Order: sequence, then structure tokens, then C-alpha cells
Amino acid sequence: MLRAILAWLVLLPVAGAAHAAPPTSLTGKLELPAPPGRPALAVKGFLDRAENQLAPVKPLAPTNQMIVVVEGADKPVSPPQVVIDLLGETFSRRVIAAPAGAEVVIKNPSKTARLLTAAEDPKLIPQGPINPSGSKSFRIEEPGKVYTIGDKDAPHLKVKIVTINTPYYAYPDETGHFAIENIPPGSYKLKIWYGDGWIERPDDVVDVGAKGKTEFNPKVAAGAFTPGKK
Amino acid sequence: MFLSKIWFFLIALAAAIALTIALVMPRPAQRQHIEDEHNRLALACGVVNVALTDDARNRVELASSFARAQEVVSALESASNTEKLDEARMKQVRDVGEKLMQGISGRKPDFAMLIDKRGRVVARIKLDENDFGDYASGRPLVDDALNGYLRDDLWAQNGTMYFVSAAPAIKRDPPVAYVGAVVLGHKVTNDLAQQLVSTLSVDLGFYLGADDVAGSKTLALDKTKMQSAVAALKGDRMTDCTAGRPIDLHTKNDEYTTLVARLPGEAQMRQAYYAVMIKKPTVIGFASTLKVVSKSDLSFGNFPWYIVGGLFVLSLAFGIGLMWVEADRPLRRLAADAVRLAKGDKERLSEDEHGGKFGSIARSVNIHIDKLGRDAKSARTNLDSLLGPAPEGGLGTIDLLAGALPASRPGGPGPSTPPPPSDFKFNDPGKAIPTPPPMAAPRPTPPPMAAQSRPNQAARPGTPPPMPPATPPRGTATPPPAALPVNAPPPKDAFGLDDDILGSGVGDPEATAMVDPYFKSVYDQFVSVKQSCGEATSGLTYQKFSEKLIKNRDDLMSKTGCKEVRFTVYVKDGKAALKATPVKDE
Repeated sequence: MLRAILAWLVLLPVAGAAHAAPPTSLTGKLELPAPPGRPALAVKGFLDRAENQLAPVKPLAPTNQMIVVVEGADKPVSPPQVVIDLLGETFSRRVIAAPAGAEVVIKNPSKTARLLTAAEDPKLIPQGPINPSGSKSFRIEEPGKVYTIGDKDAPHLKVKIVTINTPYYAYPDETGHFAIENIPPGSYKLKIWYGDGWIERPDDVVDVGAKGKTEFNPKVAAGAFTPGKK
Repeated sequence: MFLSKIWFFLIALAAAIALTIALVMPRPAQRQHIEDEHNRLALACGVVNVALTDDARNRVELASSFARAQEVVSALESASNTEKLDEARMKQVRDVGEKLMQGISGRKPDFAMLIDKRGRVVARIKLDENDFGDYASGRPLVDDALNGYLRDDLWAQNGTMYFVSAAPAIKRDPPVAYVGAVVLGHKVTNDLAQQLVSTLSVDLGFYLGADDVAGSKTLALDKTKMQSAVAALKGDRMTDCTAGRPIDLHTKNDEYTTLVARLPGEAQMRQAYYAVMIKKPTVIGFASTLKVVSKSDLSFGNFPWYIVGGLFVLSLAFGIGLMWVEADRPLRRLAADAVRLAKGDKERLSEDEHGGKFGSIARSVNIHIDKLGRDAKSARTNLDSLLGPAPEGGLGTIDLLAGALPASRPGGPGPSTPPPPSDFKFNDPGKAIPTPPPMAAPRPTPPPMAAQSRPNQAARPGTPPPMPPATPPRGTATPPPAALPVNAPPPKDAFGLDDDILGSGVGDPEATAMVDPYFKSVYDQFVSVKQSCGEATSGLTYQKFSEKLIKNRDDLMSKTGCKEVRFTVYVKDGKAALKATPVKDE
């Protein structure tokens, strides 16, 4: 008994020192190739779309369909809740990362009720419409699984939920900058999701230092946005 | 008649072919008519599509003009820089939009949405006016407009279809920037449908799956068929009007031929389509074709009357010619031959002169003439058996043919020359002895004239003059001889050869009591002639004589159909003979 107490007294400062370690983060900027051209219209009207004569049209921003994910030895033990906002005719993002085991909550702050289903698993989302100001929650378990959530009455209203086996991920902004906070030091494999799948990259190992920020600028090869070349 | 039959067969065949053509000809015309209607439908369908495309171009232009308005650009720029939209801003922007809407000439939009560069709806005009702040981005039309594109689309919401158009709102003062977008919506209405087909003579309907949206006419059509037809359409939507096959639909009272075509845009996901329809063309049959024949169709300029008339006359003339050659002329020939036969100019019809069926007729007539002769011969045999053979002084022969002729007939007197030898001509008239007038069975007849009027008999040399007719006073009955024994009369069937009148049988007392004056006079003449010829008359009794005469008369009347029989006593080969002559007409 006495030996146990002494051992606890010896290890307590070590544990305290570990908790007090400064948070580290992984930041960087995606080196993106030239933006892809706009895909052909899935649905068009009587006319083809035409560019206006006053200003050049905006280039396609691929970053709103990208996720930067780092996977290490740590697996998500108690992943945080993942919230998706249903903003009228669109979701807050086109693609969402959710750690395996996380609870996904879809909130509807709009004034339109929606009946959402997952194409890959119709039972994933509890039945019934999500009324204005209402929400639906569900849990995803299987890492690597991708769910496409949508409303059959609004084909344009879609979001992809990518189940990842790590709690560390970030969404790059329009310029490609991203930041993953509170990432423990260690060696990680960095993966980038775009659109419908992972981008195949050679430089996929990142060593996160013990202190401060770790800067890493992953490069996305040309043609990565081309369908079928990821 | 063979050629006539062939000709009639050819005429009937031609008529059948003509009738077949008349009945069949409307069918290709009907098919062509239906094909024309289908082409008209496809054309109308294409015209509607072109009109809708033109309308889309105008609507996009209108949206572009709306989005270029400086008030709109300023309002959206200001809203885009605001983190949270409030009602005051919404109303201010809505007022701007309403003023612009009022200034639109022509077909005004049924709604407008003003969207900031973040994709938020800053204000709505005319539809859900109090809703704002929600995100319209995400819809392809809005996303494209926010990115700088002009385009159109079709939206379906709450059972209504909208032709929508969008344009980006661009701040043109440097730095040029996108500040939002404008969306205009035009509702698909009955008026629009009527306007689209006003010059096409078709009906038009817009549908969302099984739901009616709008139409030029209210028609309760079967949507299932139309949906199936829409589902069968593949490939480019622009080919729907030409690749699609028309379908037949019916309402309560009418049948329609309908062509469906998909509508583009978001609404296509809700199975949006339009249908162009016309009333199904009436089936054109033979009778219907005749009904629609007009005078001009039958004019000489449009119809080959000369050819038809000429062919008709030629056919008729040829047929009549064949009939004359094969029927009329042989018939006339046979008729003339029959007249000559009737006149006695010839004894038989000339079989060789008549061919075919007419020859058969002649042969049949000749066969019947031969049969009559045989019957007459049989009658003579009977009479001979009655009166005894002529050579031995019995009753004479019977000239049936001469006797059958009426005393006075059309065509003049009977033949002056003796008939040719025939089976039924078995006697020589010889020297006729006038007899009392013939009489029918129940009544006496006037004195016979035929024997006296026959010159060949009267002029024959070497024959004794005819005996004056013994015509006892009518109505006087000779009393029966008292010397005759009164016995029971034997049955008629009991008479045989043994009961010859020359035999010594016992007469019937009743018959004896009722002496016929005519028969009595014939009997007297016969007895007188026999005596004058030196023949024995001892066995000859009036009773037997009259019974045989009556039987012979009845036989002749039943066989020849004559009304009475005249008996003439004459001398043949130095012996008394008796001739029975049937008289048909007085």
C-alpha cells in the first residue's frame, strides 16, 4: 500500500507536465493546380448558359469540395459532434468529414422542410422531414464509408459525409489555407479529399513537431480535379 | 353462249376489281392522312419548342436588364457586405424590385428574387414577399448567376411550373465585382399555352408527371400513357418532337392524337413535359370518301368521263353483240322454225339448223312429237280392237293429227298435202262419209263441218259421195227395243274382246232405253254403209256399238284434251270404216 502511494506521488508531476504541454497545430496551404473548368450543365434550360459581357465569370473554386485529413496512430475515441446546416437550397458545405463514431446533426435554419435520405443507407437518417428550425441526428460508425445525403425533391440539394478514422481534419478556404488545431506530435499520413474521392498523392507523410505550429504545404498534382484522376 | 359467259365473267371480274379498288383506295389515303397529321403534330411540337426557346431568350434578356439596374446593384452590394440581413433592408430592396417590375412592359414576371453575393435571398417580390435571408445558392441557376452566367431554367414548386431566368448583378465601377444575382420567374399559365398555339390549330398542355399544370384547353386525358411515352424518350431532348411517336388518347367525347416532349431544367427531374394534341382524324372509308366528293371532283376536267363512258359503251356493245350472236339470233331461228312447224309447213324441227341448247330444244320437241305419235298409234290399236281390223270391215282408222287441228285457226286451214309418214300417221283418210255433228259427252254438238270442208277428201276420185248426215231431232230418244232381254248389266271391266259389238251379247236395258241420237245416227250410217258394201250386219247391235263409241270417245278426250269427238263413216277398201276425230274448238 505504501509503495503504491509513493509511486503515485512520483508519477503525478509527470502526468501534470504532460497535460500542460502547449497545443500544436498543423497549418499549410494547398498548392493547387489551375482550377478545373466548369463541368457541363447537368440540367440546363432552353438555352445554354452564357457569360455576361461586363465581367469575367468566376473560376470554379475546388476548395469548397476539399477536406484535408491527417491520420495517425490515434483513433477517434470520443469524437465531437458534427453539425451540418441546411441553408435553404444548399448545405453549409458540399463535403463534410465526420470521424467514425461521431454524431452527425443536420440543422435546418431555413424556412423549408426537407425530407433527407442517405443514398447509401436509407435507414441512416431517422425518418420524417426536417422541419424549419428542426434537426435530425444520427451516428456514423464505419471508417471510410461515404454517405450522400439529399432530398429527392431537390436534386441540387446534396452533401457528402466522409467517415474518417481520425479526429484531425480541416476544410481549406478559397485560397487553399488550412489549419488543424490540437494535433498531438507524431507522424501522420495526410490525405486530401476532393469531390467524390481521395486525391492520390506521393507526399502523404507529415511529422508534427512537439511544439508550436507545423507548416506543411501539400501539393496537389495537375489533373487531380479531373474526374477519374485522383 | 360460251363467249357471253366469258364476257359476263370478265365484266364481273372487272366490277369486283373496281369495287376492291374503291374499298381499298381510302386506306392508303387514310394512312397518308394520319401521317400528315403526325407530321403536323411534330411540326407544332417543334414550333412550340422554338417559341419557348425564344421566350427563354427574352426572359434572360429581361433578367439581365433587371440585374443591370443601378438601384439593384447598389442594394445587393450593400446587402452582401452585411453579416445579417434584417427586415428593413429586405423591404428597402423589395421596394426597389417592385418599382423595376412595374416598369417592365409586356409580359411581367410572376416573381423576382434579389440575391446577394453570398447566395442569400435579400428580397422577394410578388411571391413569398415576407421571406428573406434563406440561401438560394445551391440551385444551379442561382450558382451560375452568382458566378457570372446568364441562363434560364424551369422550376416546379407547389404544383406550379415557372420559366425562370437569372443574371448576375455586377458592380461596374472599379473594381468590377459580382454583388449578387437576380432571378425572374414566369408562371406557366393557360394564357401562355393558348398564346403559343394560337396559330397552330393544335392544343397544348404542360404537365408535371400525372399533374396538369396548364393548357390551351381543359382536357381530361390519360396521363399514364403520356408518362409512359415521356419515359420512353431518350437522348437529346431536342429530338423528342421528331423521334417520339404520337399516342392516341381520349376524353369523354373526343379522341386525340398526342405527341409529348420533355421540358428542360430542374423540372425535368419531376417529369415535366408538354404535349401537343389534335383531334384524331376521322377514319376515311369508302362511304366517307363518297360523302366528301364535291362537284369539282366529278367535273370533266378532274374526272376522265370520256374514257369511262367510252369503255362503258364498248363493253355494252360487245356484250349485246355476243348476246345477239349466241342467244337472240338462234332463238329467233328456233322460233321461226317452231312457227313453221305450227303452220304445218314442216313435220319436225330441224335439229341440225340449231346449235347448242337450241338444238337440244328442237330434239326434245321432236322426241315429244314422236311420243304423241306412239300414243296415237296405241289409240288406234285400241279402236281397231274395238271395231275390228279395218281390212275385214271393222271400224276405220283415226286421223288424230288432222282431228286435233281446230276447225278454224290462225294461219289458215290445215295442210293441204298429206303428212309425211310417221308413227302416228297410220291411215289414209280414204273416202269420208259425212257423219252427224260431233257432240261432247253431255250434250249434242252441231253438225260436223270438217269432213265436208276438207277438199282433199271431197275431191278424191273414185269414192262414193259422202252420206248425208243423219241428224235425228234433238231431244228425241229412241225407245229401247222391246225384244231385247232385260238382264242385269255386266260390270264394265267385264268387257273384253268377246264383247265385241259384232257379238250377240245382251244389251243394257237402261242404256238401250236412252238412245243417243248422234250415236244412233252414226250407227245407222255405219250399218247402212256396211250393207251397201255387202257386209253382214247381223251381229251388230246399237247397244254394243254405242258403248264402244262412248268408251273410245272418253279415251280420246282424256288423251288429247279435246272437248268432243266426231265419228265419220267412210268406205275403205270396199268396206265400211269408222274414223274418230277429236275436236278441240268449235
